[in-house]
Amino acid sequence: MVEPIYLIVIALGAAFLLGLLRKTGSALQIALTLAALAGMVFISAQWAYGIIKGTTQAAEIFTSGMNPPLSINLFMGRSEAVLLLLVNSAAFLSTMYLGREHKKTSVYMLMLLLVFVVGLNGIILTRDLFNLFVFIEIVSIASAGLIALRSDIRQLGAGFKFIIAGALASGFMLIGIIFTYYATGSLNIDVITGMMSPALASAGYIGLFLVFIGIMIELKPFPVNGWGIDAYQASIPPVSALVAAGTATAMFYAFTKITAMTGGIFLNASMYIGALTFVGMNVVALKQTAARRLLGYSSISQVGLLVLVFSLVKIFGIAGGELIVFGLLVSHALAKAVLFWLSGIIGKESINDWGIIRKRNILIVAFAVAVGALLALPPFPSFFAKWELITSLAVKGQYGWIAVILGGALLEAVYLMRWFGNAVKDSFNEEDNLDFRFGTLVPVITGTAALLALGYFSANLSVFENNINWLLPAVVIVLLLLDFLPAIVKNILLIAAIAWYGYPLLQAIEGYRSIFAAIFVIGAVITLLPGFMNKGRRPGFYPAVSMMFAGLVGIIEATDMLTFFFFWELMTLGSYFLILRGKKSKPHALSYMLFSLGGAYLLMTGFSMSFAEAGGTSIALDILKTVSGSSLSGIITILLAVGFMTKTASAGLHIWLPGAHAEAEGDVSPMVSGILLKAGVFGLLMTFIALGDQSIGKINIPYVLSWIGVITALTANYMAAMQEDAKRLLAYSSIAQMGYALFGISLMSHLGWLSALSLAIVHFTYKVILFLSVAGVVHRVKTRNMYQMGGLITRMPVTFFMVLVSIIALSGIPPLAGFSGRWLTYNAVIEKGWLLQGVVAGVSGLIAFLYLFRLIFAIFLGQLKDVHRRVKEAPFWILLPQILLILLVLYLSFFPGAFLRPIGDIVSEFHPEGALVWNGATAVSEFGYWNGEAVMWVFIALFAANFALLFFLNRGAQKIKQFNIVYAAERPARPETTHFAYNMFAPYRKALGFLEYPITTKFWSGVADLMHSIAGFTRRIYTGNGQTYLLQIIVFVVISFLLSNGGK
Amino acid sequence: MADFDYMKIVYAALTIFLTINYGLILQGIIGKIYARVGKRMGIRIFQPYVNLIRQWATRTSISHGVMYYLGPVFRFSGGAGILIFLPIIYGAPIFSSFSFAGDLVLISYFMFLGTLGMALGGGESGHPYAALGVSRGLSQVTMAEIPMIMAVYSIAVQYHSLNITEIVAAQQGSFLNWTLFTNPIATAAAMLAFLGSMMRSPFDVVLAPQEIPIGPPTEYQSQFLAMLMTNRTIFPVAKTILFVNFFFGGVALYDNYLLTFLVFFLKTFLVYMWSVFVGLSFPRFRVDHSIRWFLKYPMLIGLISIIFVNIRY
Repeated sequence: MVEPIYLIVIALGAAFLLGLLRKTGSALQIALTLAALAGMVFISAQWAYGIIKGTTQAAEIFTSGMNPPLSINLFMGRSEAVLLLLVNSAAFLSTMYLGREHKKTSVYMLMLLLVFVVGLNGIILTRDLFNLFVFIEIVSIASAGLIALRSDIRQLGAGFKFIIAGALASGFMLIGIIFTYYATGSLNIDVITGMMSPALASAGYIGLFLVFIGIMIELKPFPVNGWGIDAYQASIPPVSALVAAGTATAMFYAFTKITAMTGGIFLNASMYIGALTFVGMNVVALKQTAARRLLGYSSISQVGLLVLVFSLVKIFGIAGGELIVFGLLVSHALAKAVLFWLSGIIGKESINDWGIIRKRNILIVAFAVAVGALLALPPFPSFFAKWELITSLAVKGQYGWIAVILGGALLEAVYLMRWFGNAVKDSFNEEDNLDFRFGTLVPVITGTAALLALGYFSANLSVFENNINWLLPAVVIVLLLLDFLPAIVKNILLIAAIAWYGYPLLQAIEGYRSIFAAIFVIGAVITLLPGFMNKGRRPGFYPAVSMMFAGLVGIIEATDMLTFFFFWELMTLGSYFLILRGKKSKPHALSYMLFSLGGAYLLMTGFSMSFAEAGGTSIALDILKTVSGSSLSGIITILLAVGFMTKTASAGLHIWLPGAHAEAEGDVSPMVSGILLKAGVFGLLMTFIALGDQSIGKINIPYVLSWIGVITALTANYMAAMQEDAKRLLAYSSIAQMGYALFGISLMSHLGWLSALSLAIVHFTYKVILFLSVAGVVHRVKTRNMYQMGGLITRMPVTFFMVLVSIIALSGIPPLAGFSGRWLTYNAVIEKGWLLQGVVAGVSGLIAFLYLFRLIFAIFLGQLKDVHRRVKEAPFWILLPQILLILLVLYLSFFPGAFLRPIGDIVSEFHPEGALVWNGATAVSEFGYWNGEAVMWVFIALFAANFALLFFLNRGAQKIKQFNIVYAAERPARPETTHFAYNMFAPYRKALGFLEYPITTKFWSGVADLMHSIAGFTRRIYTGNGQTYLLQIIVFVVISFLLSNGGK
Repeated sequence: MADFDYMKIVYAALTIFLTINYGLILQGIIGKIYARVGKRMGIRIFQPYVNLIRQWATRTSISHGVMYYLGPVFRFSGGAGILIFLPIIYGAPIFSSFSFAGDLVLISYFMFLGTLGMALGGGESGHPYAALGVSRGLSQVTMAEIPMIMAVYSIAVQYHSLNITEIVAAQQGSFLNWTLFTNPIATAAAMLAFLGSMMRSPFDVVLAPQEIPIGPPTEYQSQFLAMLMTNRTIFPVAKTILFVNFFFGGVALYDNYLLTFLVFFLKTFLVYMWSVFVGLSFPRFRVDHSIRWFLKYPMLIGLISIIFVNIRY
């Protein structure tokens, strides 16, 4: 084991040596620097490994041959070792990234860098207060030098402001240290910690406060951090990366030492400062478009979060707090370093110019991983840390802090996801080049890989038992690595994987989960079939789609809340990537992600609350049942229900869906519409199975949901009828259908649930068919506007038949399968007595006829356009899944008992009363009866007889030409003028147009505008003037002092 | 289907045949009434027979395509289906041959099958009037059905049943047991909805003989049209029977068959006449007018009927 003191010795030695090697080649200089840093990485790695494995003990290092407090002592413990490894690795990688950058300036750059790293190591290792100050000064000066090294006027200014502000901070700190020494007679942190008492804290308050506030200012608290942001922006990217990963880490660690030393008297102050910084920086970042400045905001906000979380952990004595803090810290450091490195590779100032990242797919992956880690998405360490944090806070009853943390995270998601969307979708100049070389790539890849690997390990470090099946995410990684293969091969692989995994799953799983498992697994296989059409590689598609399906399968298998939430987020992320692939889907994918994240945070809060209510020991999903009697059960129900309703796009939370589903690629729309939405239904069922019929006060939650459900159905059906775009029409239709499902669940009865579950199945079948049919049509005619189509029945007869059967099924007209839902709903409504909701549901069902007719008429009937006279039938691979599903629809229509009976058995487990009685093929309810098979046979008999009659009589009839119609003795001018399809229901719109008023959209865009206005207003404090910044700091210190001490 | 009584097929055919005859006579009478109100002589009572037979006898060599061909098939299958799913005469198995297939929810939704087929068939003809007519018809029916749905819920709760036979059974005994008297508000709502579905003024803008010659069936001729006309003969009768069953005590089987048929004719004729009476008295609404109209008084009455049963039952 190499002594830790060599960390400092090596770096300083190398720095001196560089001075001697000033005249030699730059290659030697960089090699020497890298060697020194590699040595430091090695030492810290060795210690980290040894201490974690338990083979090495934590060690005290004494200097100058004397014991403390007379000398300075260093301490190498577990935290120190891990943080040193992190900091030194970041330094090594950043230096590697730097390459021969120092040729542009001088070898001093490398020397400064080494000194800087020495400072960071020192801050982490030292146990001496004054020594800490010295190391902080070293870091400040070295980083100011690094910032100002190049003779760019902006960098010089930034460096100057940085050093002045740093000097002010360390000035406070130095005075504080003097006072502290005066009060305690020691500079040794451990000694002071040992002697800390309330009396001492009171007597030495001013000294301790100044030390504390000095450190706080070094952490760049909002709003007095303009100098720090300028520095982030002005530095060259590898230095910014090092500052974000290294300085922030070291300073944060220094903060923890000071907190321990002061006996926690400033924890309240640091908690509020941290919260203010976290939320404030995220707000301000909303309007930022300069990439590195944005990263600066984000870095500072994350440090604020760390300070907040650390304070909360200490104040509330949260067990396992170390993992929470470390998970967040490591994720942030690595992710931010990766992002800064990427910003260097991209070389673009504005986040709107990042489209160039698409030149290299590996960079997009790194970008996605970094953003995911910052947003605490699975599988990164921050995800597990956040889960533990929120659950622990819930146990302590700190729901206000949960709201602050999750609200701030949502703000962060806004700008990070917007940036990611821009990068993936925006156009770029092909002639621009990336700084894409070995030296820049290795740090990025290392950071990305480390984040993924650490995620895996942190899941095991989590105090919660979970049954995350890592095989599922592994499939995603494998497909990511195999992305170079042709799409056909990957399609075969994925279908095989799903079939291989899904077949035993379907046999093993029971209860209501089996219904959803069937939809997810069979749906996955069927909707992947059109993928065979792709001749090329289809880069990025398969990792995304496998991520979504892995998530879907995962939530089915989950037995504990952490696992459920893990896969829920994974599914959201995968579907986001999928939706983002559409040509014009950028804004829609963003709003999808934001609504989903908001929903996910509600779920997280709901889960945490039930965890806390159930005693805070088990996170099994089953404990939801045990909290159904608790005082918070109503709130838990609301949190979970609203969380899941963001996925089913209930009215008010729906605005993401039409765009997202319409703009997605042809074969993605059926996946997200026909399959993914059912995840929300699944969640709602899960919630209500566990929690049952809850009320808050006198307000019955299912009753409220029933109204939301039917209003969703009504308005969405109306909106669907008013669309010109076939895919938007179907998207609105999906919203409406999910409204019915919500209504069915909210009835909380056997028949209600039976209707919801059977709807889930039949909606899956016909919505996949319809989206695929439309995809086939759009593939051929190259437009989604229905009025530009017409008469395609002769060109695409098979597709027409698919649509015909599907719309009859969807409309609920007997004899096809959709009728079962109507019949069950009528019965359930009368049983429950919620007649008004039943009426609204019934009326919305009628309005559905409007859009269904429009869909089939405007596309397939009416006048064929001249440009479409040679259009061919949809490709085989689009037709095949439709044919398979249409067989299913027909089977379910012929034998409704085949699926209603087993579902009824499943529902009876939860609502045994009011079940259907089956007399042969006749379903008998309390009120009515229905024999699906008889209806089918009667219809077939009548149809056959009438058809035979007409065919016999009109056997000679021949198809005549298109324009051969009775047209007032004239001939129509053109198909375009004769096809009645544009604004088809104009009178309807005239009478009911008020329904189109975008209340929800206006509301949410109002919220967005408000946030942006606040951001625009707040960021005016960043004047760029150094004097103003200093004044701000002083005011901040004074205010903090007054507040923390109550002015005493 | 082993225990299926194949005689039911014969009964069903008989039901359809008798209804066609009744419908034709009804058409003749009503044509006459329309003409006399307009101070014209009008058609002979049996003119609809002549029209229908002549139309069936006319051959054609013209078709606009498969869906066009299937339009009348769907339409007539839908109309005939309703007729045989309905229990027409309470206590007479012959005239409720397939009512075992489903309750009133089935019948309410089965009605739309023919409409949809017709709409699609007319759609394929490529004639803009057809699409225009469908657009108008669909727009109007969505709102016209609101009071109907309310009334249906109202009486279903009142009788605690969706089974038409049971609803009729509950109204037997005295005419005071009719829904008309036990739940007059629901009846009022439903009778207003009835107007909206009978293709008569003020709600006949769907066909609008003056501007869009007969709407959806514009392009249909000869035997295609004959099938549609046959359906037009039975469909209003079927709907009227449904209303008689719901609100006017249905038609019970008396020992005297003649009396039974007399009651049947009287009840259906009077209910039918309600739409004729209104149609002769009021001018035509535009679609947006009729939508707004249905959203006012009929919906209000429907709401009251729902609140009424919610309180009372």
